[in-house]
Amino acid sequence: MSGGDGFPPFISAQLHYLMNHFPHFIKVDKVWSGSKYSGNLDRFTLLIPYCLDTIKWDILYNAEFPFASPDVIFGPEDEDFHPFLLTGDEGGGGEGGLNAIKNSLCNWNNKDPSRLLALIKDLRDQYTAYQRKRVGEVDDERVKFEISTMFAREGIEMHMSSGVEKVQSEEVKFAVPLMDLNINKMVVGCPWRHEQKIYLQVVYPVNRKYMSAPSAPRLKLMSTPELKYMFSIDDVKLPTWLDGMCMAEYLPHLEESLERQVSEAVTLIDVRRHFIEALAPLLGRPVETDSVFYRKTMFFVASGAFSFMVQMFLSTQFPKQQPAMMLQSSMYFNANGMPIKSPLLSEYPWSPRWDTSQMAERIFEFVADESLNFRKYCSEGHLQH
Amino acid sequence: MEDPQLHKIAISGPTLASMIQRFSSSLGDVDGFLFGHVTQITPSNLSDDSSSSDSDSQLVATITGFFCSGQNLSFYDSLGRVNSLRVPSPNNHQHHNLIGWFSGRRQSPLRPSLREFSVTNSLSKTPQFRFSVKTSSQSLTNQTLTPSVFILFTTPLTDQLIHTHQYRAYQLHASNKLSSSSSLPSPSFHAKSLDVVNIGPAFRGHYGSFTPNCALPLLNCDTRNSCSAMNVESLTSHREKISDQKQLDSCAEGFRVETLSRLMGPEASSYTGAVEDLYEKMLAKIDSLARLVETSSDKVLELENHNRKLRFKVARSSGLE
Repeated sequence: MSGGDGFPPFISAQLHYLMNHFPHFIKVDKVWSGSKYSGNLDRFTLLIPYCLDTIKWDILYNAEFPFASPDVIFGPEDEDFHPFLLTGDEGGGGEGGLNAIKNSLCNWNNKDPSRLLALIKDLRDQYTAYQRKRVGEVDDERVKFEISTMFAREGIEMHMSSGVEKVQSEEVKFAVPLMDLNINKMVVGCPWRHEQKIYLQVVYPVNRKYMSAPSAPRLKLMSTPELKYMFSIDDVKLPTWLDGMCMAEYLPHLEESLERQVSEAVTLIDVRRHFIEALAPLLGRPVETDSVFYRKTMFFVASGAFSFMVQMFLSTQFPKQQPAMMLQSSMYFNANGMPIKSPLLSEYPWSPRWDTSQMAERIFEFVADESLNFRKYCSEGHLQH
Repeated sequence: MEDPQLHKIAISGPTLASMIQRFSSSLGDVDGFLFGHVTQITPSNLSDDSSSSDSDSQLVATITGFFCSGQNLSFYDSLGRVNSLRVPSPNNHQHHNLIGWFSGRRQSPLRPSLREFSVTNSLSKTPQFRFSVKTSSQSLTNQTLTPSVFILFTTPLTDQLIHTHQYRAYQLHASNKLSSSSSLPSPSFHAKSLDVVNIGPAFRGHYGSFTPNCALPLLNCDTRNSCSAMNVESLTSHREKISDQKQLDSCAEGFRVETLSRLMGPEASSYTGAVEDLYEKMLAKIDSLARLVETSSDKVLELENHNRKLRFKVARSSGLE
C-alpha cells in the first residue's frame, strides 16, 4: 500500500515532485502517521529556506481520506500569519497568488503530483508578503528609509523577529541577493540543480529609542551551500560600514568587488585544470579527477617496486595556496584492513609565482623524495602488526 | 461589532474524557461541535486592591456537551468555509448553545492550522449562530457571542512523554495588535485556560452556585389517587399530568405506583413476587435494547470498514497513474 518510503503513493508522488522541483533546497525534517491502524505516514515537517534561515511548516495529509487537500501548520513564531486574511494590496504575493492557493485547495487533485509544490510556493510568496508588511510597519526611521531605497531590488526577503517578550530585542533582517549574474552559466558543465547566489544578510536592531545615532547593522555574507566548491565567501572581506551610511551606498561597492572575485574564481578553475594536466606527463594520467571544479585528483605512482596513490586537494585559493597531498599505499594495510595513509602534506617548497610546468616539476620532485619516507613508514607500520 | 473576551473555559471531567475517548478511538483525524453556555460571573472582590476595577465581571464558557463527527471536514470545505446547513440549527435551549468546535489530529504540533483558523473565523462570522450570555442567576443579558471557542486535541510527537493526549483551548478574538494603527483589527487565537470542573481545590466553593441541568423532563405525577386538588388546577396542567403519567406507565410495565404502598406492612411478603416480575420485565426490555444497539453498532462498523477499504482502493489506483 505504501510507496516504499512509508507514504501512500499519492502523497509520495507529490512530495518527491516538490523536493525535485522547488527552486530552493527543501528538506523533510520528520514524518508522522495520523492513522490509528494502518500506520501509513501522512504528515511531515518541511524545512523551507526563507531569508537565509529556515521556516518549519507541518503538512498534514489524511491517509484515511486521500481526496482531501492537505492542511498546513505554520511555525510557532508565525501565529499571526493568516494567508486567507491578507488582502491584495499588501505586497508581493498579491491576490493572484492567494486565489491560486484557494482554487488549488478547493479543487484538490491528488493525482496531480505538482499540486503540493504549487501550494508551498504560493504560500511562501504570501509569507514573504506578510513579513514585508510587518517590517514595513516597524516604527524606525532608518528601516523605513532603507526599505524605500531597496524596494526595487528583486528577490529581497525581509524578516521581523521579535525576541521573547522583549521589545528591546526586536530585529529586522534583510536577505539581499547580490549581483545580477547567473553564476551557474559561468561554470562549464555546471552540476548545480539550484541557482547559486550570494546574499548579504543585514540585521538592524530596532526600537532602541534612547540611542541617538543608529549603530551599524550586523552584516554577514552568505551563499547557497554548493557554491563553496568554486568560491568561498568566507574568504571575502566585507568593506567597512561607515557612520551614517545606508545600503544604497554600501551595496554597489560590495557588488563590484564580489563580481570581480567571482569571475576570478571562475578563471581559477582553468588554472587548476592546467596544473593537473601539467602533472600528467610526470605522474602519469590521473586515476580520478573532479572534472568540473578540479579541486581533487588522484594519481597512481610507481617508484621502483613500490607503488602508491597520491591524492591531491586544491583549494579555491590555488595557486596562492599550495595543494595538500596524501599518499596512500596500495600494498600495506593496517590492523583494521585499511590501506596505510600518510599524514596530510601541505608544507613543501612552493611559490605561487612559478609557472605551471615548474609547479608540476617541483611537486614531482617532492613526491619522489617523499616516497622513500612513505615506504619506510609503510613497512614499519606493517611490521608492527 | 466586537465580541467580549472569555475569561476561561470550563468543562466537566466526563465530557472531556469522552471527547478524548472519541478522538483516540477514531481511525484518523476528527472534528465536531461544542455545546454549552456562556455565563457572566462577578467574582467576589474581597481584595483591598481596587486597581483591577475594569475586570468586574468575567465571562466563563462552560462546555456541557459535544458532537463528534468521527472524521474531519465534516461541516466545512478544505478552505475552512463553514457550510451552515451541516451545522446543527440553534435551538432555544439556553444551556445548549453552539459555542464552538474542536479538532483532533494525531502526531501533529499543538498549534491551530491554516484550515482550523479559517473554520473558526467562518463560524464566528455567521450571525445566525449568535447566542446570548447569561448571568449567574440564569437570566439572559443583552450581551451576545458567536461560536468562537476552539479546542485542539493532539497526540504528542515524541513517545518519551508519560501522557498520551494533549489539548489546548482558544477563543478567536478580534483585537488591535500593538503595532499597526491603520489596519483593521484582525482576528487571532487567544489561548484560554481550560478548567476541568470538579478537579482541584479551586472547585470547593463551586457547589454553592450549582444549579443542576437535567435533560430529562420533570415528571409531574400524582402518587395519591385524589381528586381533591384537581378542580383548583387548570385543565392544561391536568393534561400535562396525564401525559407524564403515560410516560411513567410505559416504563412501569403495568406496575402501578399505588401498589408500592403494599410493600410495606403485613401484605409485603405476598407482593414481592409482583415486584420481581416487574424487574424481570424491565431487565428483558433493557436486554433487548442492548441487543439492538449491539447489532446496529455492528452494522455501522461493517459500513465504516467497507468505506475505508473503498477509500484505500481509490488511493492506490490514483497513486499508480
